[in-house]
Amino acid sequence: MSDQTKEHTPTITVADQRVASQKGEREFMMDVRTQDLEVNMGPQHPATHGVMRILIRADGELVTGAQPHLGYLHRCAEKIGENVEWLQYLPYTDRYDYLAAMNNNLGYSLAVEALLGIEIPRRATMLRTICAELNRIASHLVAFGTYGLDLGAFTPFLYCFREREWLLMLFEKICGARLTYSYLRIGGVFNDAPPGWLEEVAYFCDVFEEKWAEYRDLLMLNHIFIKRTADIGVITPAQALDFGLTGPMVRGSGIDWDLRRDMPYMIYGEICDANVFDVPLGTGEQGQLGDCWDRVYVRVQEMMESIKIVRWCLENIEDGPTIAELPKVLRVPPGEAYVGIENPRGELGHYVVSDGGKVAVRCRVRGPSFCNLPILEDIMPHTFLADSVAIIGSTDVVIGETDR
Amino acid sequence: MDFQGIYDRLRAVDAPGLTGCDLPRDADPEDKKDKGRAGDAFVLVDPAQWTQFLRVCRDDERLGFEQLVDLTATDPGKDDENFWVNAQLLSLRHKHRLAVKALLPKGAATIASATAVYRAAQWHERECGEMFGITFAGHPDPRNILLPDDWAGYPLRKDYEFPKEYHGISCE
Repeated sequence: MSDQTKEHTPTITVADQRVASQKGEREFMMDVRTQDLEVNMGPQHPATHGVMRILIRADGELVTGAQPHLGYLHRCAEKIGENVEWLQYLPYTDRYDYLAAMNNNLGYSLAVEALLGIEIPRRATMLRTICAELNRIASHLVAFGTYGLDLGAFTPFLYCFREREWLLMLFEKICGARLTYSYLRIGGVFNDAPPGWLEEVAYFCDVFEEKWAEYRDLLMLNHIFIKRTADIGVITPAQALDFGLTGPMVRGSGIDWDLRRDMPYMIYGEICDANVFDVPLGTGEQGQLGDCWDRVYVRVQEMMESIKIVRWCLENIEDGPTIAELPKVLRVPPGEAYVGIENPRGELGHYVVSDGGKVAVRCRVRGPSFCNLPILEDIMPHTFLADSVAIIGSTDVVIGETDR
Repeated sequence: MDFQGIYDRLRAVDAPGLTGCDLPRDADPEDKKDKGRAGDAFVLVDPAQWTQFLRVCRDDERLGFEQLVDLTATDPGKDDENFWVNAQLLSLRHKHRLAVKALLPKGAATIASATAVYRAAQWHERECGEMFGITFAGHPDPRNILLPDDWAGYPLRKDYEFPKEYHGISCE
């Protein structure tokens, strides 16, 4: 520290001060010595939601630069994909976005099915949709709850996890796992729903709808919460497009884009025709368009839209087989396919290449968290250090997916 | 637009570097060895005009690809002499996608960086750089992103050999 003090040369000289003091400004600067300080936020910081390090350069309270450093959780998922058989890779997809494992299973299955060109039974598609949407709610509950936690609101987090616990129990009933499901398989789903499961999901929807309004009032409309998030971390629509942001990040900036509606896959085309759900957008209701509040509120509203989709599926589900007939050792026809689906965090893309063998040639995962993160380098400078937690939390990053 | 419409438009505006397209096809019933090709159609682009091509895709009104969704590379096999550089473009206005592929010789794996056209390319190119050893000329920050800075070799190449140890830690 003493070396730094010696080397420090004041940026304002006595002569400057004399000029400035005549104009009546900056007199106080003479004895204030500031220099840029580099602070590592993470890899073990609770607000980074995992092991990510952000190198923050700060001038006093002001952030002048931010650089995310990744790779602490790199597990070579893509390399593993080139070394195990098509069906064996499925459990690995659970592990990248561990908060939305159903959606990951779905993305991978759809990509392989695009190459196989097989017909999926209708009941399986319905169960897939129900599970993916329920998992979206569970994921958004974590995002919303922990975001409050980051900003010092402890109570909503506990309520969110109570509701999520119920969802995890429902998943446990249908597939036996609470976090890494591997329930949606290539060709359909692993097994049919146990008796009474669909009725319990309907009951959950009813209860959740009631609770949801309470959470919204408790956190989203809380005056302190609004003060901490409105006008902070503004992403303009042009930035959102340039950085390739997807999901709630791009919708928070007011861009009307949802893959489920705009490029329908699975049964979503039918759901959109029935006009079941809306796509919530950021409106700049509490501050500027595209601020942290907008992004979080988009997620909160999406939970309710998911409930509507689940209800529609429960009304229209029919009996039937739940998985297509497939050989034990799957050989996928040569070719390549890219399938992007709407994950809770944005577009989850799988790019698979096959040469006709038992193992993939390439198994690329385009994780939405990975693609949504570089925006931090752009929006964090010129904010206050205290707001950096609010900005990082609003990207809803899952490190398992950025690092894969 | 569907793929054919996009391809025709690219031909009409004379997109720089466009060399052709590859469509999925059914297997030839006469030829037993032929299994056809499944999946998506894509366009092939000359790597020397990679950024010019992407710029046309972004700026042309009827193509309107505002977003680079994904940029990655593929090593199709040990004996193959090319890498593929794959890009996925998305138009939010027109609701269509385009898969773009450039064949890059393994001996001279250098391609221009697309960061000036789409900033989304920045991290994807860093990842491709460390995983395949492809150089993206003009990249503003070509450090490793997922791997440690001192990692030897390019893991997603097919001829990659797994290291026996890393900093004294046995990997076997």
